[in-house]
Amino acid sequence: MKNLNAGYGFLKVLWDVSIQIDRGEFVALVGPNGAGKSTTLKTISGLLPPQSGKITFDGQVINNQDCALNCRNGLSYISEELNLFTGMTVLENLEMGAQLLDDKNKMEENLQFVFELFPRLEERVGQYAGTLSGGERKMLAIARGLMSNPILVLVDEPSLGLAPQVTEEVFNALKVLNKKGVTILLVEQNVTKTLKFSSRAYILEKGEVVLEGPSSELITNDHVKQIYLGT
Amino acid sequence: MNDSSSAKVIEWLKSAGGITVTCTILVAIAVSFHKGPYVLVNTLVTGGMWALMAIGVSLLFGVMNISNFAHGEYFMIGSLTAYYIMNPLKQYLLETPNDFLSFITPILGIAGAAIVGAIAGIVTDKTIFAQLRKRNREGWLLNCFLITIGIQIILINVHMLVFGNTFKGVVNYWDVPSVAFGDVYVSVDRVVVFGIAMAAIVLFWYLMMYTSLGKKIRAVAQDENGARMVGIQVNGVYSTTFALACGFAALAGGSLLFMFPSYPTVGVAPLYNSWFIIILVGFGNVAGAVPGGFMIALFQVVTRTYMGEGWENVIPMFLIAMILIFKPYGIFATKVRSVWEQ
Ligand SMILES: Nc1ncnc2c1ncn2[C@@H]1O[C@H](COP(=O)(O)OP(=O)(O)O)[C@@H](O)[C@H]1O
Ligand SMILES: [Mg+2]
Repeated sequence: MKNLNAGYGFLKVLWDVSIQIDRGEFVALVGPNGAGKSTTLKTISGLLPPQSGKITFDGQVINNQDCALNCRNGLSYISEELNLFTGMTVLENLEMGAQLLDDKNKMEENLQFVFELFPRLEERVGQYAGTLSGGERKMLAIARGLMSNPILVLVDEPSLGLAPQVTEEVFNALKVLNKKGVTILLVEQNVTKTLKFSSRAYILEKGEVVLEGPSSELITNDHVKQIYLGT
Repeated sequence: MNDSSSAKVIEWLKSAGGITVTCTILVAIAVSFHKGPYVLVNTLVTGGMWALMAIGVSLLFGVMNISNFAHGEYFMIGSLTAYYIMNPLKQYLLETPNDFLSFITPILGIAGAAIVGAIAGIVTDKTIFAQLRKRNREGWLLNCFLITIGIQIILINVHMLVFGNTFKGVVNYWDVPSVAFGDVYVSVDRVVVFGIAMAAIVLFWYLMMYTSLGKKIRAVAQDENGARMVGIQVNGVYSTTFALACGFAALAGGSLLFMFPSYPTVGVAPLYNSWFIIILVGFGNVAGAVPGGFMIALFQVVTRTYMGEGWENVIPMFLIAMILIFKPYGIFATKVRSVWEQ
């Protein structure tokens, strides 16, 4: 992603943001509220058309490509709003997540995998998504996003509104996923934890990248310490 | 039946929906005793078709947030198509009788109507609503309302200009003896039309609940962005929804050609009926459209029988006003709220 500018209507939110992620990496994008993190993910995913700049995925420019097509190409977006199908059961939501797969066995395999990551979902397969608790919904949204065998997963604030213990569960699941070779771009406000789990990070403030580097180095950076870690 | 399920049935009977359904059935029985069972035949024949119309309107509203005031014109397109398929064939059959051709002529007419209606629906979506979606979604509801009124006016006037202001109908579909149910004789046309409505409703329900296309439509209705995120091409789903909704309206128009000859404004009454039904059962309640269709048909048949022609739109209108005052979310709002959005 290069020199990306994006926003809503006349409002410009992102100013020449450039992010580069290699295959198999676990990259974090952190920053304060309203910095434009969600806008960045929405633009990459194809839900929001960019104003200018270039988004490349797997060597292809995907600038005005529909979200559905990106999903077909292996890009999975798990939004902050979750966008679950609330009138469908947990299982139906997961099946919808796998609806691009032709292979029925592959779907069963993925189902087993997400149930291993989130055993709680397996207990609630027949429950309507609209009746799940906040944490369970988040797990379902992540699980649904993994059902399509993605190459790259974009996750927006999985820790938002979750108990610390559940957050830990979710982050561990992402780590497991990354170990299996899936590339991850994680957006978070929970800086300490995110920098611990990710290998590299970008810091976004007011729509611009202000810092970037390996997470282990950023955690000792003065700016980060002062503003995000409060030490 | 165990205790809890019988308690549920009793509770349902006491709800607004239960009371209305029970009253409808009682009225139907009373009327058929008083005026003879023929009254019920027309209720069943038209009720199924009004249900199909209302399902279409509900679907367009539930999936795409479009309140379609041009829905009656797809009914008109259906009746017009059926007429122009059946009439020439019937003329030809007068000169050269052919058993097989006279058997399939109505089937061709009705099927042709549904197909032409579905195509008209797709064309409407691609040329108008797809363009509007591309621009932006601001003021979507009002824009769609105005656009559908425009489509209605255009289609009515095109009919007038091209096909004239005359009634274009057929007297009957099949020249065969009536079917006897006990000592009640019902024409084959009516039996078949009722069968078509029931078959279409069952097929539609199956499509929505169990096929991947139906699941996609439900997914888009529940969360459009969510649907895009799992790789559903929403534009295709929108066109399919239009094809289904308009196809059903045209199927109703084609099937009822023997009762409602085609003329420019033939779709206006069916449109009102479908809005009656939707207000009665609650917005977006696709399953409720089926009992709603029969209720409206019964109201109309009963008022026409007892009060004379012309009253059949007044009394239901009054009842709808009462329902809106006392039960603004429709009679099933608390209970049924559409099968797939509970
Ligand atoms: N749908 C929208 N329409 C208009 N402005 C928006 C919309 N969504 C977000 N914004 C604005 O864009 C800016 C960045 O928001 P966002 O990307 O959600 O930030 P973050 O996720 O980093 O908290 C904010 O100022 C917000 O008000
Ligand atoms: Mg955000």
